[in-house]
Amino acid sequence: MTNLKTNKLKEVMYTYGTIIALILIIILFGILNPRAFLSSTNFWNITRQMAILAVIALGATLIMCVSEFDLSVGNIASFSGVLAALLAINGVPFIFSLIIATLLSGILGLINGYIVTKFKVMSFIITLAMGRMIYGLTYWLSGGAIIFNDIPQSFKFIGTAKIGKIPYLTILMVIISLIFIYITKYTAFGRKLYAIGGNERASKVAGVKVEFNKTLAFALSGLMAGFAGVLLASRVGSASPTAGDAYNLNAYATIFIGITLFKEGVPNILGTLVGVAIFTVLANGLTILQVPTFIQNILTGLIIIIAVVGQKVGTSNND
Amino acid sequence: MVVETKHLTKVFGSMYALNDINFSIKKGEIHGLVGENGAGKSTLIKILTGVYSLTKGEIFVNGEKATIKDPVKSRELGINVIHQDRHLIPSFNGIENIFLGLPYSKKKDKITVDFEAMRRKIDVIMDKYSIEVPLNKMAKELSPPQQTLIEIIRAMLTDCKLLILDEPTAALTDKETIILFDIIKKLNKDGTAILYVTHRMDEIFALTDRITVFRNGELVETVKTKDTTKDDLISAMTDSESENNKNINLVHKNQDFGEVIYSVKNIATKDKVVKDASFSVHKGEILGIFGLGGSGRTELLEAIYGYKKIISGEVIYKGKTLNKLSPRNSIKNRIGLIHEDRRGHSLVINRSIKNNVVLPVIDTYVRNGLYDSKKENNDVNQKMNDLNIKAINNNQKVAQLSGGNQQKVVFAKSLIFNPEVFLCDEPTQAVDVMTRGEIHTLLRNKAKEGKAIVYVTSDLLEMLEIADNILIIANGKTHELIENNNIDSKTILQYCYKER
Ligand SMILES: Nc1ncnc2c1ncn2[C@@H]1O[C@H](COP(=O)(O)OP(=O)(O)OP(=O)(O)O)[C@@H](O)[C@H]1O
Ligand SMILES: [Mg+2]
Repeated sequence: MTNLKTNKLKEVMYTYGTIIALILIIILFGILNPRAFLSSTNFWNITRQMAILAVIALGATLIMCVSEFDLSVGNIASFSGVLAALLAINGVPFIFSLIIATLLSGILGLINGYIVTKFKVMSFIITLAMGRMIYGLTYWLSGGAIIFNDIPQSFKFIGTAKIGKIPYLTILMVIISLIFIYITKYTAFGRKLYAIGGNERASKVAGVKVEFNKTLAFALSGLMAGFAGVLLASRVGSASPTAGDAYNLNAYATIFIGITLFKEGVPNILGTLVGVAIFTVLANGLTILQVPTFIQNILTGLIIIIAVVGQKVGTSNND
Repeated sequence: MVVETKHLTKVFGSMYALNDINFSIKKGEIHGLVGENGAGKSTLIKILTGVYSLTKGEIFVNGEKATIKDPVKSRELGINVIHQDRHLIPSFNGIENIFLGLPYSKKKDKITVDFEAMRRKIDVIMDKYSIEVPLNKMAKELSPPQQTLIEIIRAMLTDCKLLILDEPTAALTDKETIILFDIIKKLNKDGTAILYVTHRMDEIFALTDRITVFRNGELVETVKTKDTTKDDLISAMTDSESENNKNINLVHKNQDFGEVIYSVKNIATKDKVVKDASFSVHKGEILGIFGLGGSGRTELLEAIYGYKKIISGEVIYKGKTLNKLSPRNSIKNRIGLIHEDRRGHSLVINRSIKNNVVLPVIDTYVRNGLYDSKKENNDVNQKMNDLNIKAINNNQKVAQLSGGNQQKVVFAKSLIFNPEVFLCDEPTQAVDVMTRGEIHTLLRNKAKEGKAIVYVTSDLLEMLEIADNILIIANGKTHELIENNNIDSKTILQYCYKER
């Protein structure tokens, strides 16, 4: 009887472990510094901090769905931010700088996808190399410096403005997340991505256009990274060739955390969002507690490992 | 004619997999295709379904010349196929696997996928052919026969003029085979032509109207089923009439075995698929374990080999309890497992034959810090010879071998460390009749040398052909031990159903 109960408890832990981890982290910070951490201002602040990582990670989730990597997303984000800032400084209205930078980023993604599918080469190394090239290009565009002089006020609007207490970025994140959930769950395109990731050969034999859909996923990932890059530049009011670097690996960490959320064991939008939340809440809470950055890094890494390992230990029967 | 080929030729590198094939399937017939491993059967199918392109020749579908450039085109022409290996997405449920590669049903907005509508379409077919399979489960949770059913439903969803089945019963038990045959016959009655590939002669005679024999990439003959016999077919396949004198008696009638060398007691696995299994096997004995799909036979072998975690029970080998079960220790003790899942658990599919065969013993080739590739080469070649593996050389990728030859590589991989105990799970799946006989003889000879063999197969006739004793497993528990002496398949099945 007790055995049955502990089994049940175990099952709950394994199924909802990742979400429980998030809640525990929130409770912990809540106890340690309730006034600063649990305030509504901080809540909206956290959601805004989440937005940019979320947009990049959602795009990259599509790539992980087809079992590939796009390691150029960070560089694409930097590129797009620098390009948009330069355009704005030269008098291009914000909305057009946004569109141009985002579309060009999408094309960079398309090139990634084209090379990977056309020549059947490993996306890991191709996108890493493309990232290098894009970084060089961005460096040249920006002259290697951080761009912040002469950026018009209108450029900073979307990244900083709020409706009431709710930041624009938060609203954007919610809308994009809903669109992505819809795409991955309820469109043929999304389902094909999962099919390809699940068994590429079987998909091909069944008549799925593997190359085409993969390329499209790469293009979308580039597009999202570019969009996020502009949002980032708008939020901080500056652009630099290295602004997006940190987002590269963080995006993949959140996706891996997200995979642990459901028993299918595949990348998914909700999971990625939970991963983003864990990441952001940690950073936010530790900063509020004035924990030094190096300790923040150690703790963040440790928690990711625990989350992923914990899930794995629970689900495997073999071995 | 539903499908006709003229001078069809396929060359891989410099090898003719198909050579000048003139072949046709009539409307409404069930056409059997037989031939040795590597004869070219799957290659023909892959060309008809757009997986491979042809080197030379023409294909006509319903009298019109057709270019089948990819699987989509083949399906548009009304050709559907169940390939030799299952092609499912592990994390998808039945509905999505069935609709894989087909246009999904959409809601009114023409974008949103309508899963309910898809389920309704599937239900119609499942009702019509009385197929039962859980649609909500992920493919990785389904048994091999259920996976086959999923593929069959997929084939029937589109307008199907020709259904091709490449060894569909390799992983099925008798009962499931009967269900499959019912479905095939119903489909055929509704006007679908069937091309059926198998190594099981009884199935060929039970099902087909005409039979085509392939040998070495060439078409030997097409005959009416009622005008031929099993022996005729076999000699057409092998081109050597004297093959039939191999009727050595495989079953050991007087049961005078050596001592017990290997026994397992009250095994239960962590996932509870095996609940309570015990048996002993003697030197010189071939012990058959028979159970229906889902009875835990595969899991039992995995558990005692040390691949699957057990929560109770013990394995006693040469009088000592093995205290740490693991694949590595099993190999050290010279206990070999031939796993049922060829591509998933046995072969590193993208590596060479050589790499695969020596995998269990790779350490032993290091002499004084150097790798002895010459000895490695010799050992592998000898095993390839013994088992008659058809390949260019031992450096060929396993993925490029025919299904039956892949299975022989699995066998070679066990033979390489000369086991004392063989745990075999469907060891003759996908191999042709001749090789099957050879494998049986080989195992019998091993038994005569004093080795012990545990043999799992879902093919009852094969079981009766090879096993000295037959142990029934049902529902994760072992039951009666039956001496294989004047019993028939019906008796054994009765035991199985009694215990369920
Ligand atoms: N992709 C490939 N590359 C090179 N050779 C191949 C490839 N596919 C098949 N072959 C070769 O073509 C020959 C015919 O293979 P095929 O799979 O058609 O045989 P089969 O009659 O289906 O045999 P089985 O009964 O074992 O399934 C074999 O010798 C095989 O090694
Ligand atoms: Mg074959």
